[in-house]
Amino acid sequence: MLADGLYKHADSVNELLARYGVKFGIYKNGEFKEQLFPFDIIPRVISAEDFNFLERGLKQRVKALNEFIRDIYSKRQIIKDKVIAEEFIYSGSGYLVQCDGVTPPKNIYAHISGIDLVQGKNKNWYILEDNLRIPSGASYPMIARDLCRKGVPEMFEENRIEDNRNYAELLRKTMEYVNTGGLSVILTPGRFNAAYFEHSYLAEQTGAHLVTCDDLTVENENLYFIDYSGKKEKVGAVYRRISDEYLDPVNFYRESLIGIPHIFDIYRKGNVALINAPGNGVADDKGIYYFVPAMIKYYLGEEPILQNAPTYLPYYEDDMKYVLENFDKLVLKDVAEAGGYGVVFANKLSKQEKENFITLLKSEPRRFIAQEVIDFLDLDIYEDGQPVPRKADLRAFVLMADEPVVWKSGLTRFSRNPDSFIVNSSQGGGFKDTWVLKSK
Amino acid sequence: MFLSIENSDRLLWLGRYSERVYTGLRSFAEKFDSITDSADYESKYDFVKNFCFDEKNPSSIRSSLLRAYDNAIVLRDEIGSETFSYVQLALYEINKAEKSKTLMLNLLKVIDNIVAFWGMADDRIQDEHARGLIKLGKRIERVDLYARMNASDEDIKREISRLTYRITKTGLRYNSDNLEKLKALANEEKINHSEVISAVENLIELNS
Amino acid sequence: MIRRLQYLYHMSLKFELPVHEHHFKLRCFPSTDARQKIFNEHIEIYPVHFRSTEKDSFGNTCVYGTANQTHDHFSVDVEGEADIDINKKLTDEEYKTGIFKYETPLTKAGTTIRKFHLELESASLFANNFERAFYMMNMLYDDFSYVQGVTGISTTAEEAFDLRRGVCQDYAHILLAMCRLERIPCRYIAGMIPGEGATHAWTEIYNEGEWRMLDPTHNRECDDTYIKISSGRDAKDCSINQGVFYGGGRQTQEIKVKVSEL
Repeated sequence: MLADGLYKHADSVNELLARYGVKFGIYKNGEFKEQLFPFDIIPRVISAEDFNFLERGLKQRVKALNEFIRDIYSKRQIIKDKVIAEEFIYSGSGYLVQCDGVTPPKNIYAHISGIDLVQGKNKNWYILEDNLRIPSGASYPMIARDLCRKGVPEMFEENRIEDNRNYAELLRKTMEYVNTGGLSVILTPGRFNAAYFEHSYLAEQTGAHLVTCDDLTVENENLYFIDYSGKKEKVGAVYRRISDEYLDPVNFYRESLIGIPHIFDIYRKGNVALINAPGNGVADDKGIYYFVPAMIKYYLGEEPILQNAPTYLPYYEDDMKYVLENFDKLVLKDVAEAGGYGVVFANKLSKQEKENFITLLKSEPRRFIAQEVIDFLDLDIYEDGQPVPRKADLRAFVLMADEPVVWKSGLTRFSRNPDSFIVNSSQGGGFKDTWVLKSK
Repeated sequence: MFLSIENSDRLLWLGRYSERVYTGLRSFAEKFDSITDSADYESKYDFVKNFCFDEKNPSSIRSSLLRAYDNAIVLRDEIGSETFSYVQLALYEINKAEKSKTLMLNLLKVIDNIVAFWGMADDRIQDEHARGLIKLGKRIERVDLYARMNASDEDIKREISRLTYRITKTGLRYNSDNLEKLKALANEEKINHSEVISAVENLIELNS
Repeated sequence: MIRRLQYLYHMSLKFELPVHEHHFKLRCFPSTDARQKIFNEHIEIYPVHFRSTEKDSFGNTCVYGTANQTHDHFSVDVEGEADIDINKKLTDEEYKTGIFKYETPLTKAGTTIRKFHLELESASLFANNFERAFYMMNMLYDDFSYVQGVTGISTTAEEAFDLRRGVCQDYAHILLAMCRLERIPCRYIAGMIPGEGATHAWTEIYNEGEWRMLDPTHNRECDDTYIKISSGRDAKDCSINQGVFYGGGRQTQEIKVKVSEL
């Protein structure tokens, strides 16, 4: 399907990416640096049939997660019915008590979900992680597609590929759907955020205004954007790329130097939409992940279409027993960590490290989950002109307006280190475009 | 289109810094020519390094370009990725120039990109006010630089006239006393450089 | 029997240097619930440009707002009357109490509290949560002294218990920490009691469908002279004021409370 010698074009596409400043920020030794996000030109290709399956599974999962967040912050039926251990909610860091009893516009919590999956050698897809707070990454395949089409048009001649550049349109609809009247804006913590390129690119592509906290103010129960002449314009939807605790210093972390005082108070009154809803962290905790299949059955009365990676909660006695008996073949994850940190492959530990870890696990069972190591289906990347296999995952994006829509693409991240399973950009990983083929 | 005070300020400074890079490089080319015949390689090298590449020297070409980039990168949604890309390219070119054996050719590419940036800004930025701010920044900086560099009275007079034409078109708040003063200075027989600098530096009152 | 109390609450902030764009969120207004009925309430906030009222997630009344103009003094005065009926129960369904079962940073038991807790008599000797908590309160009272000035608003239960000295907030936090070791739902209460002085703090223990009040500082179950202002997982949830502003330098807060029987 793809012409051989694609790698010859790799440099020209990377040159185009550099030209448009497709970067991410990283702090090294306390200093901020911008780095190009390494792009590999060989796309991940997903057939129409495969994608159709993923699409159904992802919609189902996101619907259930949205129901779960709503339930947790209102009736708590799932706790009452003991489907989920309440300890994982109330002693996790994702639950925000301030959100209890708050109903967001149109009852949507997870407007933009980034669901991480991997494909095993057995061709099965497994969910690795749900990201329901501020999942980033959609801008990269979006601009890469645009630049590949310019730089290497012949790649696209024989392929019937779903155009992924509609992401901006989907995002705009998502914002408009919950907008309570006024402008839709994208709120960035500023240039020194890792994903600043994405914030500014999405603003440009959606036509939503890119703002910082200083540009916004709450007055008389409404949120306003202040322009250079002092004129105020009402804001009805904020796609905020700033985390919950820094959002509002009179309601969350009060030492926050950024943030908009009272934005949460007027959100509580229904006068502005916050995208995604504050408090979503309760549903994407690594411990809660374990319960998602049960949630799907509970809220939707359906069998889960997509599988979790086989996961154990040492919190439960039976699971702890299994984990201790099979320790060497498992991967352990600290539920409080993200970005590829706090992940331990048991077989890589020394005898002493292993003993220490088990002691820790026994004293804080709630802190860890254990998973079977999935035999990833590797993807080829070009290295010095040669295709070499590397571990890769897929972040699929689900956008929720009246119905969830799965973006017909996704961010494929790969590890550049042949021995590593960690694909995160903050740890040196690269990315690929994700092609979804049109049905014949 | 809604523009914040902060971004108005940045657009103006984007115009100013891009102009500083452009005029700086043109004056560098002249000086470089005048020292070409000298065989004192060390002082030549120091001059080039200091004038073009030294990030610690706030008036080096690289410093000005970095400041232009700092402003441009946070204006992507105002000016567009296409327009932004020329500032990014100029920065790549100056990095290449530093390691290049054909210095002047590489520096010419920096100028090419700055000129392309202006052209693209003029053509692609739909918001008249935003577009006007970049141009105004450029015109202010031109007058300021010419006065500082002791350019000919004729050149300074011409640039003042271009600036005064531009400023009345933007609808921006400016200090009319200083504008009148600037006009009067341009009509005098001999240009008073420090008066011109002080008038042009205090022309805009963005935050008042 | 209903007891009628009259209350005055005053809070003022003095700023060393003037402040402006002062955003505040106040939580110092008793609300009506099954046990207490609030009426003839009058609230005065000065200076204020805009203000609005809401209930937070715990059902506490909050007033939030902005004082735009430059000021070096900010004050809140609340007065009202409360009818307290001790025979009325504060009920709740058990599955809704989960949030109050787990430690928070302020109520986390460390080695000192854990050790103390281990030496207590076995929980199985007590008929219910209330009796168990009552016993723990007695034990705490015997081993802790009321001393002002050694702890502050951000002192944790563990830190205070290490000192064996503290004020009502510390008593409450330590009792909560011990209850939470046993997963007994329990919460922090900020409120007022008769007399003149500062605000008071105590606890509520969930027992067989209802919330019962224990005052560990006085080692007793609360009677009908306790006016509740707010409740939460710990003192942080009951913060009287969460504010941000520009300027200010050092600030001094003054709180005066007066409760009398009518």
